[in-house]
Amino acid sequence: MVQFSQENLQKVDKIIARYPEGRQKSALIPLLHLAQEQYGWLSVETMDYVASLLNIEPIEVYEVASFYSMYNLKPVGKYMFEVCQTGPCMINGSDDIIEYIGEKLNIKPGETTADGLFTLKAVECLGACGYAPMMQMGKFYKEHLTKEKVDAIIEECRAKAN
Amino acid sequence: MGRKLLLEKAHVEGIRYFDTYRREGGYRSVEKALKTMGPDDVTEEVKKSGLRGRGGAGFPTGMKWSFLAKPEGVPRHLVVNADESEPGTFKDRYLMEFIPHLLIEGIIVASYALGSNTSFIYIRGEYAWIVDILEQAIQEAHNNGFLGKNILGSGFDCDIHVQRGAGAYICGEETALLESLEGKRGNPRIKPPFPAVKGAWDRPTVVNNVESIAAVVPIINEGGEEYAKIGVGKSTGTKLISACGNINKPGVYEIDMTISVEEFIYSDEWCGGIAKGKRLKACIPGGSSVPILPANLLLKTAKGEQRMMNYESLADGGFQTGTMMGSGGFIVFDEDQCIVKHTYTLARFYRHESCGQCSPCREGTGWMEKLLLRLDKGQGKMSDIDLLWDIQSKIEGNTICPLGDAAAWPVAAAIRHFRDEFEWHITNAAEAQVRNFGLAHYADAREVVPA
Repeated sequence: MVQFSQENLQKVDKIIARYPEGRQKSALIPLLHLAQEQYGWLSVETMDYVASLLNIEPIEVYEVASFYSMYNLKPVGKYMFEVCQTGPCMINGSDDIIEYIGEKLNIKPGETTADGLFTLKAVECLGACGYAPMMQMGKFYKEHLTKEKVDAIIEECRAKAN
Repeated sequence: MGRKLLLEKAHVEGIRYFDTYRREGGYRSVEKALKTMGPDDVTEEVKKSGLRGRGGAGFPTGMKWSFLAKPEGVPRHLVVNADESEPGTFKDRYLMEFIPHLLIEGIIVASYALGSNTSFIYIRGEYAWIVDILEQAIQEAHNNGFLGKNILGSGFDCDIHVQRGAGAYICGEETALLESLEGKRGNPRIKPPFPAVKGAWDRPTVVNNVESIAAVVPIINEGGEEYAKIGVGKSTGTKLISACGNINKPGVYEIDMTISVEEFIYSDEWCGGIAKGKRLKACIPGGSSVPILPANLLLKTAKGEQRMMNYESLADGGFQTGTMMGSGGFIVFDEDQCIVKHTYTLARFYRHESCGQCSPCREGTGWMEKLLLRLDKGQGKMSDIDLLWDIQSKIEGNTICPLGDAAAWPVAAAIRHFRDEFEWHITNAAEAQVRNFGLAHYADAREVVPA
């Protein structure tokens, strides 16, 4: 059963209190972030649970969750590499980085490794154009990527997962 | 060396924290505004400063504030647009990451002017770690009596909340941002009514860019007239430029808008020249949606005058031979870059980010992406170029929000200035897969037609 942790439930109350009376739906996007932090992705059950917390229809959650690119509507790997591929990163070699990660992990963009450890995604501009090529990994950015840096990041993730 | 008003102290150790920021003169504008000025006086100073919205459109900030409706008994809101998502733009991130209290200070003063007791920062979802930095700064401001009830005994109450987006470029458009803030898909609203009358939760709302709000601090400290003395013409004050692409020193720079584009690219104070000793081919000076210019038109206007880093000079010549200051996302291309491929990545970006409400944008961005991919892969036809031109011209001006224009302009400008490179991708399809078109004549001196 889907259920927010105690800590998250306290956050929910605080978030809803930011908005005018009767406008608790405004808390939807922050709540979906909380849900994704807790579960890694948004299942239908999770979205229905969020709908019940906000007293809105499930469809109001689905239509939002499917609009924003940061929400995972399918399970993803423990570590998600979201490599920017837009113009400024492209002219600094992001294609090579995406290809290199793909070869190293033996997956294509959009896929997850068989061990469930890594997901590779090619994404659009993340606002780090001056530090290209770069990727988002969880909450943080990994910038000025090189093949050596990618190797080190993958090693670090594997070490942490063991 | 130009004047710095926003980033002057950005490198002082510990400036991210209240005590250091305060010791360096922070929060003086809050004291000055709340203790010695009325809300309308603050707006008046911002008007006098000539500050133009730093998000991209360049609309005068003071004027935007003066449009705010003030019906009796209805709360009003300031919403800060930190949804920085325009490719090439990463200036607000820098400001929020390194000197967050400057933004918080600006928000308090602006909220006082606008009568907003609850203000919001809507930040792009990917800047997740910056949310923590901002929330800590807000907490510190609370602890020191600059936020909360009855700030500095003035009777003015103010709270600030940070709301994360979740990955949607369109939410940088102010009405889409408001929809998102209300927990909906980021579909832009039809205007009117404007947010100043009916914004967040149907209440009068002002949406301003991070940099615009930060600029309120020096405006109040020094006075609007003093601020307006910096810069040139209607380009007053300083502007943050995020420089990227093939340059030696990518990064965020604060300029006073009196320097030339050439100085900005080649001086060691700024971009430090083209990387690896290569030559300049082209530049998109104001974020991905503004027209790309070849080197010759970038450095000199069609009239043969030196092009300067300000709103007027960058726009000189209109879209035929000029471009825009936009958001200040300055993307530089060296001689080895392929304009067709780069334009393709931008078309893909806009197709991905179109909200899908308006048919010309939803369908047109997809067609532009497909055609450009075909051209880039050497499978294009000569008629594709005219078809691309036709599609972009039918998107522009035919959509609810400016995303349609933003998607059309880069394609139009690429064809306008680099048509021969597109043609070469068709006539020399195989060759185009193994080498780039190169610098060609784009850097040649232009023939100037006497007026």
